[in-house]
Amino acid sequence: MTEFKSGVDLSLMEGVLRQYQEDSTSLIMILQQAQAIYGYLPQEVIYHVAERTGNSPAKVMGVATFYSYFRLKPMGTYQIMLCEGTACHVNGAERIRAAITQELGIHNGETTEDGMFTLNEVACLGCCSLAPVMMINGDTYGNLTPEKTINILRELRKREAGDGIRILVGQGSCGVSAGASRVAKVLAGHQAATDSFTVEKTGCIGMCYLEPIVDIYEGDKLLHRLVRVTETDALGIVEAVRSKDFSKLEAMFISDEDARFLKKQKRVALSHCGIIDPTSIDDYINHDGYQALDKALRMTPEEVIEEIKVSGLAGRGGAGFPTWFKWNAARQAEGENKHLICNADEGDPGAFMDRAVIESDPHTLIEGMLIGAYAIGAKDMYVYIRAEYPLAVDHLGQAIEQARARGLLGENILGTGFSCDLHIKIGAGAFVCGEETALIESMEGKRGMPRLKPPFPAQSGYLNEPSNINNVETFANVAWIIRNGGAAFAAMGTENSKGTKVFALTGKVQRGGLVEVPMGNSLKDVIFDIAGGIKNGRKYKAVQMGGPSGGCIPAELVETPIDYKALSATGAIMGSGGMVVMDDTTCMVNIARFFLDFTARESCGKCVPCRIGTTRMKEILDRICEGKGQEGDIEMLEELCVSIKDGALCGLGQTAPNPVLTTIRYFRDEYEAHIRDKKCPACECSALLTIKIDPVNCKGCTLCARKCPVECISGERKEPHVINQDACIKCKQCVSSCKFDAIIVE
Amino acid sequence: MKKIKVTINGQVCTGTPGQTLLQIAEANGIQIPNLCHNSELKHYGGCSLCVVEAENSPKLLRACATIATDGMVINTESERVVRTRKTSIELLMSDHDGDCRGPCVLKCPASVNAQGYIQAIARGDDKEAVRILKERLPIPASIGRVCPHPCEGGCRRQMVEESISISYLKYFAADNVIKAGGYLPAKAASTGKRVGIIGGGPGGLTAAYYLSLKGHRITIVDAMPQMGGMLRYGIPEYRLPKAVLDEEIAEIASLGVEMKNNYRIGVDASFEEFKSKYDAVVLAIGAWSSMPVGCPGEELEGVMGGIDFLQRVALGQKPDIGDKVAVVGGGNTAMDACRTAVRLGAKEVYVVYRRTEKEMPAEQIEIDEAREEGVVFKFLTNPAEIVGENGKVKEIKLQVMELGEPDESGRRRPVPVEGKFEVLPVSCVIAAIGQKANVAGFKGVELNRKGIIAADETSYRTSMEGVFAVGDATNNGASIAIEAIGEARRCSKVVDLYLNGVEVPYRKTYLSVKQVTPEYFKGYIKLPRAKMPTRDPEERKHDFQEINLGFSEAQARAEASRCLDCGCHDFEECKLIRCANLYELQPQRIERLRGDGKIHPSYKEKRLVAIERDQGKCILCGQCVRICDEVVGKGIIDLVGRGFETAIKPEFLKSDAIKGCVDCLKCAQACPTGTLRIRENELED
Repeated sequence: MTEFKSGVDLSLMEGVLRQYQEDSTSLIMILQQAQAIYGYLPQEVIYHVAERTGNSPAKVMGVATFYSYFRLKPMGTYQIMLCEGTACHVNGAERIRAAITQELGIHNGETTEDGMFTLNEVACLGCCSLAPVMMINGDTYGNLTPEKTINILRELRKREAGDGIRILVGQGSCGVSAGASRVAKVLAGHQAATDSFTVEKTGCIGMCYLEPIVDIYEGDKLLHRLVRVTETDALGIVEAVRSKDFSKLEAMFISDEDARFLKKQKRVALSHCGIIDPTSIDDYINHDGYQALDKALRMTPEEVIEEIKVSGLAGRGGAGFPTWFKWNAARQAEGENKHLICNADEGDPGAFMDRAVIESDPHTLIEGMLIGAYAIGAKDMYVYIRAEYPLAVDHLGQAIEQARARGLLGENILGTGFSCDLHIKIGAGAFVCGEETALIESMEGKRGMPRLKPPFPAQSGYLNEPSNINNVETFANVAWIIRNGGAAFAAMGTENSKGTKVFALTGKVQRGGLVEVPMGNSLKDVIFDIAGGIKNGRKYKAVQMGGPSGGCIPAELVETPIDYKALSATGAIMGSGGMVVMDDTTCMVNIARFFLDFTARESCGKCVPCRIGTTRMKEILDRICEGKGQEGDIEMLEELCVSIKDGALCGLGQTAPNPVLTTIRYFRDEYEAHIRDKKCPACECSALLTIKIDPVNCKGCTLCARKCPVECISGERKEPHVINQDACIKCKQCVSSCKFDAIIVE
Repeated sequence: MKKIKVTINGQVCTGTPGQTLLQIAEANGIQIPNLCHNSELKHYGGCSLCVVEAENSPKLLRACATIATDGMVINTESERVVRTRKTSIELLMSDHDGDCRGPCVLKCPASVNAQGYIQAIARGDDKEAVRILKERLPIPASIGRVCPHPCEGGCRRQMVEESISISYLKYFAADNVIKAGGYLPAKAASTGKRVGIIGGGPGGLTAAYYLSLKGHRITIVDAMPQMGGMLRYGIPEYRLPKAVLDEEIAEIASLGVEMKNNYRIGVDASFEEFKSKYDAVVLAIGAWSSMPVGCPGEELEGVMGGIDFLQRVALGQKPDIGDKVAVVGGGNTAMDACRTAVRLGAKEVYVVYRRTEKEMPAEQIEIDEAREEGVVFKFLTNPAEIVGENGKVKEIKLQVMELGEPDESGRRRPVPVEGKFEVLPVSCVIAAIGQKANVAGFKGVELNRKGIIAADETSYRTSMEGVFAVGDATNNGASIAIEAIGEARRCSKVVDLYLNGVEVPYRKTYLSVKQVTPEYFKGYIKLPRAKMPTRDPEERKHDFQEINLGFSEAQARAEASRCLDCGCHDFEECKLIRCANLYELQPQRIERLRGDGKIHPSYKEKRLVAIERDQGKCILCGQCVRICDEVVGKGIIDLVGRGFETAIKPEFLKSDAIKGCVDCLKCAQACPTGTLRIRENELED
């Protein structure tokens, strides 16, 4: 045993090691628990875990340094996780980061001297419609402004000093962030013993921009949907319910416009979301829950696969591979022990469909998985889920317990002799683990580095046994298909894309949120009809689909139908469903850089094209955005793109060039403007901007000078002000503060 | 067992079921580059070099991992494959912080492996040193004495204190080996091909040596009475004793090279006739005409060219130079001329040079030694007129100069100070201001703008089929001997291929170069450079005996031990650089890819007992990690971090040596680059 002098109490690890039976494949879970105990992973613990799990310390170190969740240094009492997702990026996360640094004096990965705060920039938290977002010790804070951020941090400091109060109960992440849990608490507080109504909890309906949302139902019938409800509204709601006179609540009723958001949709995967209580199995069963399982267990596995084949269901994780084919391959594969795995490692910065499904309707997932497990003959099932989704993990955990208690999981399900159980594996922060072979490596407790295919997981997957992996949304469609028949599903969509698709609609749209539409609808239907077009009357420029693996589709292609083939033809992909809408203030070079920065940081480092290539591409894009681009950079990027696509080992690297390729394809002039004219046409790249005050419009109100964080604006009261260009950091705070449109950005 | 058939690059190959494409290709003699594959290990797929294109497959396949199926049609060299591989290699090289070869080797025009022989000398293995030397330089004892050693200019030891005395060490080892009976490598079987070489100087001798070793039959013809060219007739005996040169020429002759002297093209045979007797001809005729001084009076008796003067002395003549000699020029020939004039008995010897000492192209040691021997330097002067009396030189009128703006060469341009002159009474003026080839008689060979032979700079081909040309008579004109030797060796490779019916130009090898700063050398203890013992100036200036006395044994070993061993120990075996040179990599493109971007900087650590690791050279192929894990079962090292920042580190960030390492050395043996190095001497401890 390696000896250490420091005072880490290793006995605290005993329970954890016993719980996971010192099993090497549970290494990641063990390290997570260890981090929960010690706040970080002390060296002593690494050695201890290595010894007890039969690994070498180098191996455990390898795993601990691969996942961004793990820390090798102690952390502050409050862990700030600042979202680096696409939506947050386009909505000014940069300014939030600056505000945190300004307030606390720490940068990414650092801890304040008093040990109170640690700042960590993380891949998307999946609350894109509330961008910019941060999470502090599990609580989500959305729609942040620099001022709001600073207030929150000061509030926490006060609380630590003992004079602040805060109450939280679980709801959907978006709702909680908008204050839904406080509303729920106040509603419950007003509830008298004589009142016959109940205050229940539901998940996310997908209209995140309207949160907190309160629905008033009579039985299964929705009477009224109230939006943007605050704590002060709570008493009025209680009184309206008591008197059955809802007219006083009119101001909170959802507008027809907003109602269209839902009406235009067709909900299959999300059919229960926002309607049932995700923590109640009875509620699910009352909404046709587990009927499909019952039906499937009366069919032969082959018949189930056939039904899925008829439905035309294709993988919703992004690649769009026919689901029946994978199931069939896994069914045919030789091997006693087969595994069914759900990929819930929703890492695309800007996508949160899977989080919503699991938070709002976990039983749909379990039911879909059970049907799949029956079809392929799996002995056990796993959900591999991101650690960034604590509420989803919690709801899924509860659902599993409930399903076990009802005999829907475990031995002899529904008395049919079919046995299968479900386990949760929690990821630790690595986008690449969404790639199926990397996911398997990670499930085995290793560094999440992709394996070569073949062999495909269907032949040799988890523990080298046949494994079938599908995405959350894919499974969420299965019960519906079995209940309603494959043909009903296939009736929706186009020739080669059947059913519906869920999108996480974010960015510069009026109404963002979760949208489920039949395949074949156009981008225009989604962006303009459902989401109401662009915010603030600006011009629609492009939509980014498929996240870091996808591409930007320009405004002129807005009629493109939602169809695997048609979207691929544009250079983008269907992807898992991230849809980030951009207006004319979004710089396309900068957005490409943003995605490359993401993939470069998330590259596992195994293959050369991805490990070095994405970094080099990002560096070239950095150069261009900083005004240091050279002639030939575009061509060099294009060459790198083509070779990286061909040479990379897994999907992450093979698709990483897409955002660059599509932006060059459709917005080459913007690249050229950066390189040749040293100008950013969208006025976003700060190195290429000049901010000036128009002496005619300036009234000398001094507001900008007071807002300027570097005090580079000067001028007498009621006289035109001037910006000292040498000192200006181009934060644009003056621009947003000016009431007279006197500040010009060029 | 059932066989499967796979068509690779149009060739039908057979294999057994379960074999990978790589295995089948290799078994059928088709090479597919790879860096992370190791047959002892599970396949990995990291390096991305073994990609191949398969018919009906939209994606490229990794040959190391793809199990072949019957009927597959594979292309291992398609445009798409080559482009993809090339990018991967460029990316790898953009994150490679290591020297393939030391700067001494890179600076040497003949790429002589200085680091290799210096290390051998440090170990006391002079024979090995000469073996390494003769891979690139057939006459090390001669060249070691006279070379202006650009290698030393590149030596990184200068960042500590002074460069290694590379050139002198070279002749120390070569002399020792000659004393012990000499060294010649084995010669290939006779090919029956004949090569005629015109010119027996360093270029011609080198071409003869390497072509002869390849088994070709060689004849060298030369207009002078003996072989050696400028080494014999341009360099004075006191720097390079003829006996040393004779030894080395005799070695070359012993390979069976036929040597004909006093043979003049245009006299003994026309070029046409000569050419017709050989399968290939190499022109190495040198530059034997002195440039005229270019001022009034240059026709006077007592005015002569530097080259002519030295040549006459070498031939044993005693040119009449009188008591007072002015040598015009600042190069090594000027130094040879002035010091020879001293030895011929001149009382006053001047060097007239239009710039200052700082700008002189001659080597500092030559200038210092000339001064020790009484030579007077007239800097910032230029001949305006040579004044005669009765047709003989009487005095030289010098225009006084000053330095103006820098010119193209970066040296400040000398400009006349109007009306300011100086007069030196002299009996002789020697113009050592340059030399040029005389190309009369080589009809049909195209000349360049300068009026000398135009030869392709990579293949050394001339406009005439089968005629190659190297050295002072080509392209940019006269230069130093080692330059001609380098060209001649590279030319000999092209000629050998040509004789075998292959027309491939010599291609410059792509090499990785480390970025270093003086910071890097902070920890070294300063050790002064060895000083060559020389004869006393008062004694040596009266005769032509060699000035340098040579290093003592102890001096040489200590001096060689100062070598920092910059170049990669693994250069010969390195798979990375071999792969890099499969495709024509452009160093500028790699520079541009790297830009100011990230790299894994060179960092040497020694925690694996007898293995030194240099992170700068690691390509993260993971072979060391996998072999330690899969074969040895120890798992002592692993990848740490993710993405670009991934590195290989033993255990936790502990600084001491790793206990579990069993010294099996398997990781170091598997390493395809020079990242892991076995320290042999420490194994013996």
